[in-house]
Amino acid sequence: MSLINNLEKYSKTLLLSTEEKNDLNSFFSSGFPNISDEEWKYTSLNKIVKNDFVVEDLPVFDEDNIIDKVSLGFKNKIVFLNGKLVSSPKIDGITISDFKSFKSKTNNSILSLNSSMARNGFSIDVENNTVLNSPIEILFLISSTRNTFLQYRNQINLGKNSNLKIIENIHSIHENLAFINHFTQVKCDENSIFEYNKTQNNKDNFSLIDTCNIYQEANTTSSVNTLIFGGSFIRNNLNFEQNGENAESNMNGVSVLNGSQFADNHTFVDHKKSNCRSNEVYKGIYLDKSKGVFNGKIMVRPESQKIDAFQSNNNLLLSDESTIDTKPQLEIYADDVKCSHGCTIGQLDKEALFYMKSRGLAEKEAKALLTYAFTNEAIDKISVPEFKDKCEKLIAEKLNVKLDFNH
Amino acid sequence: MLNIKNLKAQIEEIKILNGINLSVNAGEVHAIMGPNGSGKSTLASVIAGKEDYEVTDGEIEFESEDLLDLAVEERSNKGIFLSFQYPVEIPGISVSNFMKTCINERRKQQGLDPMPATDLLKLMREKMELLNINSGYLSRNMNEGFSGGEKKRNEIFQLAMLNPKLSILDETDSGLDIDALKIVANGVNKLRTENNATIVITHYQRLLDYIVPDFVHVLYNGKIVKSGGKELAYELEEKGYDWITKK
Ligand SMILES: Nc1ncnc2c1ncn2[C@@H]1O[C@H](COP(=O)(O)OP(=O)(O)O)[C@@H](O)[C@H]1O
Ligand SMILES: [Mg+2]
Repeated sequence: MSLINNLEKYSKTLLLSTEEKNDLNSFFSSGFPNISDEEWKYTSLNKIVKNDFVVEDLPVFDEDNIIDKVSLGFKNKIVFLNGKLVSSPKIDGITISDFKSFKSKTNNSILSLNSSMARNGFSIDVENNTVLNSPIEILFLISSTRNTFLQYRNQINLGKNSNLKIIENIHSIHENLAFINHFTQVKCDENSIFEYNKTQNNKDNFSLIDTCNIYQEANTTSSVNTLIFGGSFIRNNLNFEQNGENAESNMNGVSVLNGSQFADNHTFVDHKKSNCRSNEVYKGIYLDKSKGVFNGKIMVRPESQKIDAFQSNNNLLLSDESTIDTKPQLEIYADDVKCSHGCTIGQLDKEALFYMKSRGLAEKEAKALLTYAFTNEAIDKISVPEFKDKCEKLIAEKLNVKLDFNH
Repeated sequence: MLNIKNLKAQIEEIKILNGINLSVNAGEVHAIMGPNGSGKSTLASVIAGKEDYEVTDGEIEFESEDLLDLAVEERSNKGIFLSFQYPVEIPGISVSNFMKTCINERRKQQGLDPMPATDLLKLMREKMELLNINSGYLSRNMNEGFSGGEKKRNEIFQLAMLNPKLSILDETDSGLDIDALKIVANGVNKLRTENNATIVITHYQRLLDYIVPDFVHVLYNGKIVKSGGKELAYELEEKGYDWITKK
């Protein structure tokens, strides 16, 4: 059986509302996206969805110390084991609860699948004026002896003048296939500040579609840092909608891939109000036969004046067989707009390597340090030191050197 | 310390070095002068081990060891330091982080533990003081946005940190005003001992007023066409190169 059959069968076991039924039908009538869809041109799900999966039916597992091993050690932790919420912290001014059904504004087949049948996830409500200094760490851990398909549907609501930082890690520790359809909706009320740090660091049996929709009111700053270190297939859809003036959306990404890993970052900023900003810095490093896709869409609506939008996507192809497809997609309908974008594809600078080696660094270390330096512009934007350290360690690990990149 | 015999090198079939002989002993300062394009930087790069150049003949010995078989970093770890004519900008890595990595990688090869952060900082501060470098400098990215003079100072800072046996200064004076030149020269002089040696590559005699050479060599068309004492530099300053090269 293929995943679509698995899903059909699974859907019959659920009690669906009318709306969920509609979403389900719309998913089944279009199926999974395929490469004839412009948005999925370089990104084929075929190899994944042809497999036989168990849908949402896994016992909570009990593996010694796994949480300690994966966690960065923050006090405030939300933990999911095989889809089930097993622990969540109590924090003043913040309500954290298990999955709650909610409607999402945009739709596509992946989101229809999610809204119709996802039954797991978290809901975080931050009260007005609540400022949390230490981040909340969210772990989604998966372990199973069968191929597993899981969906999460999460929502985060930030009240006025609130401040929240999240560190999220979706991590599979098993040997069979895992395929996750992850969706998070974030609503940022006026004057709130939000930072979402994602690590996607998995083995080659792991596939992920992660959609994150962020809605920003006036005077909000919202930042998403996406750090990809592995997984056979990753597709991130990161969408910002600015619904108030003086909103700022920041996106930073680093992908370091090897083997035949694949990662696709699709981002979209919808500047719907005047006096707003967006900053986007994505760095891709591709070894072996790995493949990257970047598509950065920026929309400035006709009535949105004084928009400042910056986008860059820089890529290093560190082998002959790695590839990157990168595309800026600018749709600017207002006149008073500052918009700059640039993408580069290159190799490590030979002069710089000679320079570094002349100071005593061996070839491998010089290359790794230069590669790290290349990612630094994006890494530097992470405000949580523990997370930044972890990312620097993972880069060193991925480049197979014992260097401490911390400064 | 350094023995170069009949060294010939080329890049993509273009012959650049055409039989260089040069011998440098510990404690000595050698100046290499010569018109633009004569091969001075190429000689420096070949000694440092730049792979772009193909050595077609001759040999380089460093402390009685064949240098030509060694990789760039091995030469560096043996004590050869090249101060670049055009230092490379490396965005994304701070001066202190770069130095820390270089020092600790070297220690690793020597079987030593990393230098404790406080010792390292102390050492860096000491060398910065020697070169009159202000404190904000350590957190700036390597050479990124540095003025010409700052870049050259950064080269000598690295030299001071790595404490090489043989320093090759390629046009270290270019981009420096007279005050900076004095500071840098003073730094280089303070680092001199009877156990290390310096090769100063320059166009102008000016630097040699401050770093006084024991020998001056004129390089032309990839060959050393004349050698002498420090007076030769004054003679060149006065008469130009024509009287040598037209012969
Ligand atoms: N990478 C290179 N490719 C081609 N020609 C080179 C290269 N490096 C040096 N040359 C040539 O070799 C000659 C010597 O250059 P260089 O060593 O830089 O001279 P100098 O430092 O004395 O000014 C010049 O004619 C220069 O054009
Ligand atoms: Mg030169």
